[in-house]
Amino acid sequence: MTLTRKNGLLYLAILVGLIVLPSFISVKYYLHLSVLALIWVIVAQGQNLIQGFTGYVSIAQAGFMGIGAYGTALLGLNFGLPVWLTILIAPLITALFALVAGYPSLRVKGHYFAIVTLAFNMVIFIVLLNLTDVTNGEAGLMGIPKPGAGRDGAIDFADRTTYYYLVLIAATGVTALAALIVNSRLGRVLVAIRQNETLVGAAGLAAWKYKLFAFVVSAMFAGFAGALYAHYQSFINPEIFTIAQSMDAVLAVILGGSGTITGPIIGAFAIVFLPEYLRFADSFRLVIYGLILILATIFMPRGIVGLASDALGLLKKRLAR
Amino acid sequence: MKRRFTIGAGLAAAVLAASTSLAGAAEKELLVGVSDALTGPAAVYGVPQARAVELAAEEVNAAGGIRLGEDTYKITVLSYDDKANPTEASNSVRKLLDRDGARFLLGFCCSGATGAVASFIQNEDAVMLVGNAAERSITTRGIDNLVRTRPPADYTGAAAGTFVASKGHKRVAVIGALETSFYAMYVDAFEREFVKGGGEIVTREAFGLKDRDMTPQLTKIRALEPDALLVVGYVEPAAFVYRQSVELGLEVPRYGFTSGSEEQFLRVVSAEQMEGVWDLRPTELTLQSTGETGRAYHENFTARFGVQPSPSSPYAYDQLYALRDAILKAGTAEDAAAVARALRELPVPKEAVMQYIPIDGRMFDENGQAYTTNGAFQWQDGQWVFVQELPSVAEDYSRFLSSVDG
Repeated sequence: MTLTRKNGLLYLAILVGLIVLPSFISVKYYLHLSVLALIWVIVAQGQNLIQGFTGYVSIAQAGFMGIGAYGTALLGLNFGLPVWLTILIAPLITALFALVAGYPSLRVKGHYFAIVTLAFNMVIFIVLLNLTDVTNGEAGLMGIPKPGAGRDGAIDFADRTTYYYLVLIAATGVTALAALIVNSRLGRVLVAIRQNETLVGAAGLAAWKYKLFAFVVSAMFAGFAGALYAHYQSFINPEIFTIAQSMDAVLAVILGGSGTITGPIIGAFAIVFLPEYLRFADSFRLVIYGLILILATIFMPRGIVGLASDALGLLKKRLAR
Repeated sequence: MKRRFTIGAGLAAAVLAASTSLAGAAEKELLVGVSDALTGPAAVYGVPQARAVELAAEEVNAAGGIRLGEDTYKITVLSYDDKANPTEASNSVRKLLDRDGARFLLGFCCSGATGAVASFIQNEDAVMLVGNAAERSITTRGIDNLVRTRPPADYTGAAAGTFVASKGHKRVAVIGALETSFYAMYVDAFEREFVKGGGEIVTREAFGLKDRDMTPQLTKIRALEPDALLVVGYVEPAAFVYRQSVELGLEVPRYGFTSGSEEQFLRVVSAEQMEGVWDLRPTELTLQSTGETGRAYHENFTARFGVQPSPSSPYAYDQLYALRDAILKAGTAEDAAAVARALRELPVPKEAVMQYIPIDGRMFDENGQAYTTNGAFQWQDGQWVFVQELPSVAEDYSRFLSSVDG
């Protein structure tokens, strides 16, 4: 996973592409979807740390998004704290919850870990739904302010293009952080845990500490994404943070390419844009979407990135002949 | 000769005027976007609403469209499924606004999804008309370009509480979708008025939207020996409660807040098991409670779609006629802000099916909220029968709504 010159050029090309993307979008609806996709890039990069690199499938990312989203919204609405500050506090609150949840959860492995995290997501959802005095229950929180000084300020974050660049900066930062982690000694230990956890223990490393680190960081990413989502949509309710959305995070990693840095970026855009493009199929769209996902999981185990890499290799071989 | 010339010149002038008029007249498209729950559990409200808009649009088009000066607007309805999900609703509406160019948004059966759209709609050059979504906060924020045809849940809940107390019940057990805020709001208002009448709520049992077995909650309720049962929730789970209450031998009067049609209930519960059930809700469509307009709506809807309309579906039907009148009053279909202002000044459209109580002669109050009377409906011999109006004062509630902050 070392950052080669080729990889660096690829990331740069993706970044440049994303920077100029708004200039090519004439219909603002697609800009809206792009903002959502970039928020999902942040979630997916976190999911990739625990799922793709460490080999533990967590089905709690939407719950962590919810903690971040409600954290920032409630701190702002109830205590009048500045939006920028609450956005930065949100991942820290999420980290605390992840620490409490992760410590016992990571004692179990494989499918059991997935089930425990799934239950954790359900608990978060039920709390958000029933703690009506704080969360306003199913009706949710409306009027969550945008960052900055509003429409009269120097930068208008109510403008979608401006918000797009804000989330692009955030997604780039998070992706760079993820790349930094996986290219460090820490990242190599995470991969080692995925490949043979017993061996890691035998080498004298406390695997649980590394797993907990990956779990907490992935939750922080999700909490950060949730905060950005809350201020973008100006509305949140528990419905948005259900297991279905956690599954989207899992799928983004599988579809894009598990254990790669580019994969979650591609996967995040796929899970946001694909269901929208399939709307032409009306009520069959979710069936088609499901079918695509099943086929992709069976026939593209390394995701879109793996497929592209294979195709590129094949092309090179043909050209070399 | 002179006379012939005069007649000829007159005829020529008339033909010329007519042809000039025809050349100037233009038929334009007025795109109306609908965002509603077309699939999923909330589709029992969303699908009839979307169809109601379609029906109204067809009627307006058949009557010549909306004539503004020399232009005639024919309505095209574009519907998207928001599955009653906030993110889906935001996406649907963004698409309608940004991609399809719709400026008038109708539908919105469910509060969560509606709240999500309401949170950003004030920044858009568009008008939003909300139908069946009953959560109070949708109109407490005083959003200039949003109006709602259905009254909030607590407005009806309070009237229902007074009504049940007047029936002499002292101990009422509640079972409902209490995680859904507008049902909880209905029950809170119900309790407030019921307690004033000397009663008490002995328990509040909850069920989820997808729950179908409510026997544990009903068994507990039976042990508490209440005088009556109050069922609040979406049609299907409520129908299961009514069925299972009979199966468990819970022989107490049953009251509810569901807005389900006979057809929707009979998919789950038999007519005999429903006998005597009360539905305490805004005076929505039933053949007994409505006038000529409502009966025509019922007939046309059934003929057009092959199923009966649900009682709450006319909230969406009335939206389209309110929109038409507002466009006519504003004199423009291009200036959404002018249409939004005109909506606030509008009397109740003559085609409206629901029985609205005008506030100062207007359909919508200063919050953009419309009010209907509240009614007590009872299931008798396989159908809902309108029995009486419930006590409720729209002006008082409107003042209260204005006093609620956000």
